[in-house]
Amino acid sequence: MSVASYLDDRLDRDVDTEKLTAILVFMLPGLTLFAIFSVGPMLYSAVGSFFTWDGFDIARFAGLETWIATFQDDAIINWSNLLAFEYPMGALPQNIIWMVVHVPLSTLLGLGLALLFADLRGRSVLRSMVFLAFTTPTVVIGLVLLFVYDPQAGIFNGLLRSIGLESVVRNWVQEPQIAIYALIAGGVWVQTGFSMLLYSSALAGIDPALLESARVDGAGRFRRFKDIIWPLVKPVTAVVVIMSMIWVIRIFAIVYAAGGPSGGPGGVFSVLGLEVYQAAFSTPIEYSKAMVVALIELVIALPMAWYIASMD
Amino acid sequence: MTRISMRSVSKYFDGGDTVANYKLDMEVDDGEFVVFLGPSGCGKTTALRMIAGLEDPSDGEIYFDDDRVDGMPPADRNVAMVFQNYALYPHMTVRENIEYPLKVRGVPPEERDERVARVAELLHIEDQMDSDPGEISGGQRQRTSLARAIVREPSVFLLDEPLSNLDAKLRLEMRSELKRIQNELGITTVYVTHNQEEAMSMGDKIVVLNDGTIRQVAEPEELYERPRTTWVAKFIGSPPMNLFEGENRGGTVNLADGNTLPTPAESSSSTVSVGVRPEDIDVSTDAPDTDWTLPGTVKTVEPLGEYVLVNVEVGGSVVNVKVPQTEATAGDAVHLTFDPADAYLYDENGELVA
Repeated sequence: MSVASYLDDRLDRDVDTEKLTAILVFMLPGLTLFAIFSVGPMLYSAVGSFFTWDGFDIARFAGLETWIATFQDDAIINWSNLLAFEYPMGALPQNIIWMVVHVPLSTLLGLGLALLFADLRGRSVLRSMVFLAFTTPTVVIGLVLLFVYDPQAGIFNGLLRSIGLESVVRNWVQEPQIAIYALIAGGVWVQTGFSMLLYSSALAGIDPALLESARVDGAGRFRRFKDIIWPLVKPVTAVVVIMSMIWVIRIFAIVYAAGGPSGGPGGVFSVLGLEVYQAAFSTPIEYSKAMVVALIELVIALPMAWYIASMD
Repeated sequence: MTRISMRSVSKYFDGGDTVANYKLDMEVDDGEFVVFLGPSGCGKTTALRMIAGLEDPSDGEIYFDDDRVDGMPPADRNVAMVFQNYALYPHMTVRENIEYPLKVRGVPPEERDERVARVAELLHIEDQMDSDPGEISGGQRQRTSLARAIVREPSVFLLDEPLSNLDAKLRLEMRSELKRIQNELGITTVYVTHNQEEAMSMGDKIVVLNDGTIRQVAEPEELYERPRTTWVAKFIGSPPMNLFEGENRGGTVNLADGNTLPTPAESSSSTVSVGVRPEDIDVSTDAPDTDWTLPGTVKTVEPLGEYVLVNVEVGGSVVNVKVPQTEATAGDAVHLTFDPADAYLYDENGELVA
């Protein structure tokens, strides 16, 4: 039975065979690539996480062994430190903390800057300057952060000195309890450019007559924002929030550049990406652990990607 | 309620390079329906926006009664405005849209409900109250935006081409509806349009604007019967007035094509224009027994049902004539005649002499 007649039976209506063939033919290259480079590796790691590995070869079936070991690994979740809220808490909680702090900050800063630049002369220059951080390779951002927070030459400590806060000067990326926030600040700097750009175009899409009408109706600045602008940019907010969540869950280069493969002193700002890298590329090679951590990342990111993709 | 006065109001954009309005002087009486009429780009919308407070005048003063309002934000002027594209808040229902100005001004919920219900009834949109603006028709959107403006009981009502996005039938309907509501509420109203039919039918007074300046302020009949300049004469009427320019020879006008006409009035100007409305001209094939006549050739005849529009070529230019019926056909040599009482005389500056 041909596909078309099968569908005819199933759907109880005529299917244009020619059209269907054309659709399938056009979809084939894309689907093939998607299968080879996306679905394949995901399934491969999903299956592989239940085996032990000898180098790159499957050794034996291990069941949930690696999964359990991973969740007991202090580098992934340090349960006792987590309960005391003391760094290092492990890559997973740290990654989530990063998300909780980073996402609202970069989103709101982006919106704030977009609003600020909306009616400004020279806004394109200002926007480009803010957006520049997003276009910079994240490794470079990590390196720049090292310079910025350097105790002697760093601009941040220089700033603190100039406003008389000599006493708090320190190497911010080496302070176990603070380092992660110093890096998050860098991440926010990067992502603000992205959210600002999206918000700028969303704001440009709002009919100015709506805001004028609200002005005539008696709404002040704040009410115009709350009642008109905020609801109208909501779809963009959803995109910005989820895109930055995904960005944070995948974060790697900034952290690596700022603290090496260990994720700072004692792994105080280690993140999931770093643990995948460590497990897969440093001896002893723990390939199945790498797969487990990568899958944790995927499980967090997938629903968000799904949400974005299904948005109208 | 409120009288609006504009005193020598000018508005420049781009640091003075663009003049949107220049020295506007006019009054809108309490409860009056005034129409700003002019071609696109004439500055009528800018003038309205200055009254609304959405633009600040570069020069001059605007008063509501005796209070100077320029520089005051729109919220403090108690004006309501209807925008050309209605500017309904897309994320609010019809009810929420109408309620919004009351909510912003802190009117208590029970009173809000009551007032919203009242305007909904006035505008016949009770059935659409819970729909989104995207779901209702253009006419209903228009009514919603009117309701939102009326619900506040503003002292000044401003409308910026509110009917231009409606189809012809709805436009006629809303025209009388608007007029009815304005009569009922007696709110001082300024209405901007480029459509002279709307202006003539609705306005108590019409302000004709061009190039940012006021060309004439008059009641509709007066505007039609005594257009003060050739520009206004050519702008009002459909088709507009025919103008014959020529040399003033004291008693006669020598037209450029060699024809002559008697002058309807005395003027010291050397160049004058004689104007006649298309509906005041007669077309005949026989040479008439009067001086008030011009020979021409029929170019086209457009039977429009209500009347016949005859385009006659006279000395190189086309003269529009509106007659109830005609036997003339294209190519016929005809004589155009008119009554001296229907003729206007404009001087060299385009000002009306008589």
